Amino acid sequence: MKLKRYLYFLLPLFAFLSACDMEKNIEVELPYHEPQLVIECYLEPGKPLRASILETAAYFDEPVPPLVPDAEVVITHNGNRYKLKYKPTVVKTTSRFYTHISDFIMTGKPGDIYGIEVKDGKGRKATGFTTVLATVPIDEVEWKFNDKDKAYLLTSFYDDGSTDNYYRYMTHVDSLSAGSNRDFVTSDQLTNGKRVSYGSAYDYEEGDTIIVSLYHIEKQYYQFLSSVGDAKDANGNPFAQPSKIKSSVQGGFGIFTNLAYDRKTVIIKK
Amino acid sequence: MRFLYSCTLLFLLLIPSYVRAQQRVVQGYVRANSNGEALIGATVAAPGISAGTITNERGYYTLSLPEGEHTLQATYVGYSSASKTIQVRQQDQQVNFILQPSANELTVVEIQASSLQQKLNDTRMSVATLSAREAKLLPALFGEVDLVKTLQLKPGIQSGGEGTSGLYVRGGGPDQNLVLLDDAVIYNASHLFGFFSVFNPDAVNKVELYKGGFPAQFGGRLSAVVDVEQNEGNSERITAQGGLGLISSRLTLDGPIVKDKGTFLVSGRRTYVDVFTRQINRLNEENKDYNPIPDYYFYDLNTRLDYTLGPKDELSLSGYYGRDFFGFEDSDFSFGFDWGNTMGNLRWRHKFSDNLYATTSASVTGYKYNINNKIDIFSFKLSSSIQDYTLKTDFDWFLKGGHSLKFGAQATRHNFTVGRLNFDSEDNSQSFSSGNKLEGSEFGVYASDDYKVNALLSFNYGLRLSGFHSDGKTHTALEPRVSAKYNLSESSSVKASYASMMQYVHLVSNSGASLPTDIWYPSTPDVAPQRSQQAALSFNKLLGKGNYLLTNEVYYKWMQNQIDFRDGANLFVNDSLENEFLFGKGRSYGTEIYLEKVKGRTTGWLGYTLSWTYRKFDSTNDLDDINDGRWFPTRYDRRYDISLVLMHRLNKCLSLTSAFVYGTGNAYSLPVARFPYQDVEGKDPTVVPIYTDRNSFRLPAYHRLDLGAVLKLKPKRGEADLTFSVYNVYNRRNPYFVYFEQVKDEENQETLKFQGKQVSLFPLIPSVTYNFKF
Repeated sequence: MKLKRYLYFLLPLFAFLSACDMEKNIEVELPYHEPQLVIECYLEPGKPLRASILETAAYFDEPVPPLVPDAEVVITHNGNRYKLKYKPTVVKTTSRFYTHISDFIMTGKPGDIYGIEVKDGKGRKATGFTTVLATVPIDEVEWKFNDKDKAYLLTSFYDDGSTDNYYRYMTHVDSLSAGSNRDFVTSDQLTNGKRVSYGSAYDYEEGDTIIVSLYHIEKQYYQFLSSVGDAKDANGNPFAQPSKIKSSVQGGFGIFTNLAYDRKTVIIKK
Repeated sequence: MRFLYSCTLLFLLLIPSYVRAQQRVVQGYVRANSNGEALIGATVAAPGISAGTITNERGYYTLSLPEGEHTLQATYVGYSSASKTIQVRQQDQQVNFILQPSANELTVVEIQASSLQQKLNDTRMSVATLSAREAKLLPALFGEVDLVKTLQLKPGIQSGGEGTSGLYVRGGGPDQNLVLLDDAVIYNASHLFGFFSVFNPDAVNKVELYKGGFPAQFGGRLSAVVDVEQNEGNSERITAQGGLGLISSRLTLDGPIVKDKGTFLVSGRRTYVDVFTRQINRLNEENKDYNPIPDYYFYDLNTRLDYTLGPKDELSLSGYYGRDFFGFEDSDFSFGFDWGNTMGNLRWRHKFSDNLYATTSASVTGYKYNINNKIDIFSFKLSSSIQDYTLKTDFDWFLKGGHSLKFGAQATRHNFTVGRLNFDSEDNSQSFSSGNKLEGSEFGVYASDDYKVNALLSFNYGLRLSGFHSDGKTHTALEPRVSAKYNLSESSSVKASYASMMQYVHLVSNSGASLPTDIWYPSTPDVAPQRSQQAALSFNKLLGKGNYLLTNEVYYKWMQNQIDFRDGANLFVNDSLENEFLFGKGRSYGTEIYLEKVKGRTTGWLGYTLSWTYRKFDSTNDLDDINDGRWFPTRYDRRYDISLVLMHRLNKCLSLTSAFVYGTGNAYSLPVARFPYQDVEGKDPTVVPIYTDRNSFRLPAYHRLDLGAVLKLKPKRGEADLTFSVYNVYNRRNPYFVYFEQVKDEENQETLKFQGKQVSLFPLIPSVTYNFKF
């Protein structure tokens, strides 16, 4: 009993330590940064060609949209050149923002190679290539309830053992525009040629609508997404190493790739 | 011409050993009267002729003296000195000393100035020494006395960050330190993510840290040797000592097993923060929004048995077992993470003659971590480990003419488990695993001679042949070691040293911190061993009638085959780990000034370090270069480092202590630019930071004052004291790390601006510890 009282006596000390504000604002002087082009362009069969062309900003610059109105954007395929017009647009259903669009519909087949070229009035130029991938079908989406009426989700698919494959797995609740509640990228290094299952925690309840997406992605997209995650993690994690952004475009930052995905929508039932 | 003159002078200095007066060997042991414990590092000197030495790990010393009458004096921290006048004649002789403890515990820092004279005359250089008794007097974070953290107060030895116990010695990382506990390797010498070292101060006698000038018997790491010796048990009676602190409690029992034959020591320590957190969790059981605090604790168990088989043979068995545990459990989910070191070492000391001794040992040591995660029917296990089996023998041979030879051999079998992963489900629908088991054999053969040419000049020169065999490839290297000392006068000396070091096992970690997820990896056909060379020069001067010793060292260290990892490297689950390695080089140079006072009521030291540390990694693939293949400062590159430590004995019952440290802020990487990133779905853009040059920023300077007091109590039985500590007295918000925050409008979530933020770790922290002994 005495020991217990002794322990209670020490509790205020821990409360004091946790209550101390150990964070404060500081001024950091950064070196001059020359803005560079940033490309974000995903080609999707059956969808028009659309891209966001922005530029980087020094970290403490005013948070204004870094548009590049004079950027010329061309997508190439089989010797054809498709020019995209500068026309900032927001797609209402998804809130997706594009700066350059075209009416041309992408019809690439797996194995086709597309290119992108971006030039602007300051003489900046960025280029990139992507090879269209085949979708990998989702074999099964299952769930199981625990005794607290919460369910976990299990998504399975078959990996092709003859190639190196990279995947991005996302789940959304109710709508794609609300942001994903699970999102990660993996390689098939440990699961080559096997039936692969991605699980979740007990996050779901009866009646939830879950949109499950399995993207079959290029290595350059896998590296870009990983490096973006690492760089974000390094800003605020004292144990993380700073990470370079591994862009898939030369002459700037960003990603130019194609989207090959299978998507299933399920409603959780008991 | 000057070179030729120097060589001639050296030759002439070597000759006198053949023509001077006959030298005789005097040897013996220095032990404590209270418990018969061997006093390691005690000074035995003949002040009349400026000759002296220190006792080895068995409390033995050997001294070469010219024939005639000499007064020998033995001194040791916390004990009254003893003198004996002897006649050195034609035969070698044995002279033993039994020292009485000083009248009061608080006098322990009052040691005789002759130890400073001995340091001045010692051929060894770049050595920092600290006894557990000294460390116990100084203020400590949360009152937890920590020898390794106290060593960080010495010049040339830096901490990696606030409160951490990792040692960065002359530009090397903590993985480049050879940490020995009773001669056996400890792989991860820290608890609680690096905030505490594994060395329980009650079980430890003293620690010696070599920053350079490495003797030939040490090998396998590049930057430092941290040699920790455990206490022997009391040979007179059974005693108990321990302490109750803010974080942990300690208890040590020691005593004789067989009178005058054998002793034992068992020492344990455990934290009890988990007792508080479990209580808090229980109080909040009904609160649905409450997130329970995970369990965390660590414990240590140190043991030592010493047994005298006969006049010529002694056995010593040392053991260490320590574990950290971090865990969380509820009905659906469990997570357990445990890690720690295990060590056992049996040493046999044999005396062939008065001049020839051998210590032979067989040890098993290892480090491992396990992560166990279970969600419903799915289980995930990840572990890595290293396990060593070592046979070692060392000979000490004291020859006439001032030569002390040391030679020996060592062979180690390493077993590595690298990133062992198992993922399973109870219904067998899921199962995959990865991981490698690797092996390696390391060996070292060495010989060295500590040669006292005359009272002014001495050399220690040696050669180590080391090698490593793994996966069909054998790496070998010759590691020359040499140091020399020359007395310019009775109160000043100059010393110089050169040491070449090899490291065959490598730590796979890119965190820059002492994390428990250590993975050790062997040299292989594609992973070459790391190498360093260091040259150092020192000037040593006794000041103030011999009460102060001023030491100034300059050093230059260059390193090859340094290992780092690609950005975004997967280090934990990767069957092709070597593909993530990058190889580079490093250099470190600087000067260290150390002024110490060990006699009188006020003692302490002032240390100043000016240093530079850089690395360079350029790979065949530009995308993987660190800092585009250019030189960059390491995170622990510290231009200025100052420490002032003072201990003042106010009276017989009260001693006051203080420690002030100042250091240039750590080199740090910050993003210089950013871009918005939308991703495939139409979510709000996120901010992606762009990092350019590695470690091109400096955190604000680090400084802190700690105060402490030791109040001796007078219990009815035994001894007791209260140790008070105040960490960070003026509540300085020292930078732990800096990040950039996106400040948003709370209502419409629009970005208003970007703001630099500095995070600190420890504010002012008072603590009190109760220590007892009976």
